[in-house]
Amino acid sequence: MSTKKTVVACSLSMREARSESAQEVLTAARLLAEPLGASLTWLVVGDAGDDLGEIGGRFGAGSVEVLRQRGDTLPGEEALVAALAAAFEQERPQAVVFAQSFIARSVVPRVAARLRSPVLMNVLSAAASAGGAVSATASAFGGDTHARYDLVGDPPHFLSLLPRAVSPLPVAGLARPAQVVERELPAPAEGDRVRVVERPRLLGPRLEDATIVVSGGRGLGDPSRYQLIEALAEALGGVAAASRPLVDEGWVAASRQVGLTGTVVQPELYVAVGISGASQHMAGCSAARVIVAINNDEKAPIFRYARLGVVADAAGFLPALIDALKGR
Amino acid sequence: MGSSEPAVRIVVCAKEVPDPDAVNAYAVSGRLTIGEDGKTIAQAAVPLLMNAYDEQAIEAVLRLRDAGHECSLTVVTVGTTRPEYLRKAGALGADEIVQIHHKAAHPDTLVVGTLLAAYIRSSGGADLVLCGRQASDDDQGVVPAAVAEELSFPLVTMAREIRLVGRQLTVVRATPDGDETVECTLPAVVSVSSELGTPRMPTARDVIAARAKKPTLIDSAALGLDDRALAPRLILRSLVVPQKTGSCEFIEADSSANTARALVNRLRDLGLAIGSGASPSG
Ligand SMILES: Cc1cc2nc3c(=O)[nH]c(=O)nc-3n(C[C@H](O)[C@H](O)[C@H](O)COP(=O)(O)OP(=O)(O)OC[C@H]3O[C@@H](n4cnc5c(N)ncnc54)[C@H](O)[C@@H]3O)c2cc1C
Ligand SMILES: Nc1ncnc2c1ncn2[C@@H]1O[C@H](COP(=O)(O)O)[C@@H](O)[C@H]1O
Repeated sequence: MSTKKTVVACSLSMREARSESAQEVLTAARLLAEPLGASLTWLVVGDAGDDLGEIGGRFGAGSVEVLRQRGDTLPGEEALVAALAAAFEQERPQAVVFAQSFIARSVVPRVAARLRSPVLMNVLSAAASAGGAVSATASAFGGDTHARYDLVGDPPHFLSLLPRAVSPLPVAGLARPAQVVERELPAPAEGDRVRVVERPRLLGPRLEDATIVVSGGRGLGDPSRYQLIEALAEALGGVAAASRPLVDEGWVAASRQVGLTGTVVQPELYVAVGISGASQHMAGCSAARVIVAINNDEKAPIFRYARLGVVADAAGFLPALIDALKGR
Repeated sequence: MGSSEPAVRIVVCAKEVPDPDAVNAYAVSGRLTIGEDGKTIAQAAVPLLMNAYDEQAIEAVLRLRDAGHECSLTVVTVGTTRPEYLRKAGALGADEIVQIHHKAAHPDTLVVGTLLAAYIRSSGGADLVLCGRQASDDDQGVVPAAVAEELSFPLVTMAREIRLVGRQLTVVRATPDGDETVECTLPAVVSVSSELGTPRMPTARDVIAARAKKPTLIDSAALGLDDRALAPRLILRSLVVPQKTGSCEFIEADSSANTARALVNRLRDLGLAIGSGASPSG
């Protein structure tokens, strides 16, 4: 048995490493490392980043390891799985914490399955005991329930943390920058079995990054009313999005879906129009600082999440709201 | 792509789940409770269904058949009940329906994946294994990965469209940045997302005809797996219903225009930089 215990916080891209979600993951990993008496390592896939040592140090990482991608194209999922499985198989950290991104959803379960180690997705919180036991709470039934699990079996224990589940908490006092070491990301032995023939082309700004999001739901009643959502988004200086029924009906592109199985947004302002507030939808937007709900049913569950509410018919109220924003 | 090709063996992994809409309805009305075991939903009235994404996985196979591919379809589930949906799968055109009984410790996602992979191996392998992107009860999305790893197949997640030319598989994936198209050679595991579209319903006649199709029951002990492979690594301790107590401030005035103005003022009070043109609209 190795005497030096570690817990790893893992960021799968440079963009992620520099975002708040990496700080959440570093915080969650550090809170596991402390009771385990383990040191914290931050593993980042990307190119060299001089700022990573400083960020890592601030959040308690003793070292930062950069797995350097070749060129500027992000490594494929197969390559990531192979590289991470190889790294963790050698070092067998106690736990590895990821931010649950689209790519993490595909990659993390495979790395864990390859190592036959416990894995939990949709994690809201995690805890460890000095004896080495790890337990974690995950969202289930779209958020209608929370399930608490003990993770047993050979480490590492893989945890995929939901965005905004943990608040970033820098270490107290003056932090020293962590030492950064770089390694080349190894190529998968079997080559990339999956070839990307057409990359996604994002139309418009990334929903994830938007500071203002306006979403329409089934209460709009008619596809043509979605234009009101776009107009309101424009008037507010935000991005238009939707609940799943509108995507299912083909009114709106799938990349605009907010929710458990869509994008998790964390804007300053989230405006939900004609959306009932099902937990699967709220899983994607409850991290917003301010939620405004516009719904004609005063009993709609969305009002339990909203800071501000207007009980009104969407078709009647949105033009008035757009006018008010334009100062008319 | 005619019938000269050998049939492609497709296995769809399907899970039985409590109807998520019914669970949601209880949850939003504040009536969702947990049973005495502390681990399951108490409401016995919640019906059990086939996980919706798994129905869409079956639909993906039917579309391959529509496109002229000769595909054999096996639907396999790990569970101890005798769910109705197995019959529906038969009515939709499954050639074989398999239920794996696992009576030992409650299997976790990795164990379920191991059982499914062991069944697939023991039954002559598969060209294509389809799963749902996640089960709507545990929301994990781990089983497809476990099946892929146990079989050493590549995995493509989040499929909205699946095409086949010979043994070349093309999958359109729904990503947050838009559609991504990937290719790989069979065999492979693919997980299907809701963007695939609404699955078809079986006809009444097919439902009647399917009554004769009996599921094959397999005891997990017959799959030759050792205790280690069957040891769950996730132990469910408790399930709780999170409480949501709102404190919504309702904005109301004598006209839509005045309500709108009041709302805009409240937003500005809260320090929100609205309508500043700071971030462009999509
Ligand atoms: C596994 C799973 C994953 C899911 N993932 C997602 C996801 O990622 N994202 C998501 O959004 N959903 C998801 N869902 C679906 C989710 O459960 C809900 O069905 C969905 O969010 C409901 O969308 P909605 O609120 O637009 O429609 P509804 O629930 O039909 O609500 C419509 C609302 O509009 C109001 N309304 C009606 N008329 C008007 C009017 N004239 N003016 C104003 N308001 C009006 C009504 O009062 C009602 O509250 C998922 C479900 C499952 C099972
Ligand atoms: N008990 C099961 N039997 C058969 N397939 C399953 C089972 N559990 C999960 N699956 C498959 O794996 C997918 C993802 O499930 P999960 O990893 O539990 O979210 C489901 O959509 C099914 O296709």
